[in-house]
Amino acid sequence: MAQASVAALRNEDPEEVEKEAGRSSTITVVPEGAAWNGVEQTMLKRRSIRKYKKAQVPGHLIRRMLEMGRFAPSQGNCQPWKFVVIRDADMIQGIEDFCVGTCKKLSRGIDYYTYPAGSFKYFITRAKAKLFNRLQPNMMHPVPVSGITAIAEGRFAVFHKAPTVILLLMDKRGIGVPAIDIGICGTNIVLAAQSLGLGTCWIGFSKFLNQSPEWCARLGVEEPYEIAEAITVGYPVGDPTHLIARETHEIGWFEGGKKEILY
Amino acid sequence: MALLSKQERRHFPDWDDPGQCQFHSVTIDLEKCDGCKLCTIICPANVLELFGDKAKKKARVKANARGCISCNNCFAICESGAIEASQHYDFVGYYRQLGRGEFSKPRVF
Ligand SMILES: Cc1cc2nc3c(=O)[nH]c(=O)nc-3n(C[C@H](O)[C@H](O)[C@H](O)COP(=O)(O)O)c2cc1C
Ligand code: SF4
Ligand code: SF4
Repeated sequence: MAQASVAALRNEDPEEVEKEAGRSSTITVVPEGAAWNGVEQTMLKRRSIRKYKKAQVPGHLIRRMLEMGRFAPSQGNCQPWKFVVIRDADMIQGIEDFCVGTCKKLSRGIDYYTYPAGSFKYFITRAKAKLFNRLQPNMMHPVPVSGITAIAEGRFAVFHKAPTVILLLMDKRGIGVPAIDIGICGTNIVLAAQSLGLGTCWIGFSKFLNQSPEWCARLGVEEPYEIAEAITVGYPVGDPTHLIARETHEIGWFEGGKKEILY
Repeated sequence: MALLSKQERRHFPDWDDPGQCQFHSVTIDLEKCDGCKLCTIICPANVLELFGDKAKKKARVKANARGCISCNNCFAICESGAIEASQHYDFVGYYRQLGRGEFSKPRVF
């Protein structure tokens, strides 16, 4: 009996059901070449903002952004996130100092090029860096490594002196790959912020905070949670919304029995 | 057939070797630049600076500066359309870029 009803369900034409119910919805095709709608414009105008005005963002706008994160899709609807919002400048300075300290230590340990070529220190650091690079190829990509060097040398900041920092905490027991869900949740938050006239920046270097038992205790980060990412929020300096150019990416397009490569 | 050869997969480029880690640079139109300084303060790689006399300062890429990530945040903030990145960074070996086309503004389909 149960089996029969499953089969019936599978065979049912959803459009027929719609029709029989008298609830047929209409198809609206956006015409070719139509101007970008509001959502598309929000996506195109979003940039990572690393210089902020001093003015604090009103609390209700942060709540409004987080509310959009709440409705993000997640594998099996597992919603493996919770949030920490930091709005006190001295506390933000505290997490900044900790992450800068970590970058200094890391930089001393792996930036072989800061030691005189041919010295023992150069030799040993380079060997260590190469091994570390092989073991952690994502983390030790040349771009974040140059970021770590720049932070260690005081040429780059971690939290960009933002008036508000949101930490995205991930429940490590999330279904499948919970880090993807965190990314999607954060994307909702960031795009909502853009639509509200706010600037944001994702902060991958915030993950260093997981290494500090003191900061984890103070921030309320405990197993099975970890800090997956952070997002800084504030009002942007200038008007960084001119539409930029970026590279295109390969698209394998299968249609009509053929494969085409598009960009 | 793999897109990266066995040798490439094993080769991690020297972080400090411009031949192995190719960061590109922005082009700046000095005619258009009004020296507003905004690009120099927002550039995440900190590779831009102003130069020249007080009244007619212009932006330029710092000497020996490396690490531009072609994010075009400088273009996004420039009111004069004077500065732009048009090539992405690329590396030899493990991190060689794959499946990328030309730089292009958002296209309307
Ligand atoms: C997961 C993630 C982590 C990031 N971490 C940092 C970071 O620690 N510091 C930073 O300044 N930017 C960070 N960024 C911002 C990227 O550098 C930026 O998104 C990229 O350069 C593209 O520029 P756009 O966001 O302006 O389009 C991060 C972005 C993402 C998606
Ligand atoms: S933002 Fe544009 S106008 Fe201003 S200094 Fe930079 S290049 Fe020149
Ligand atoms: S493209 Fe990005 S990293 Fe390069 S100069 Fe412009 S702002 Fe700086």
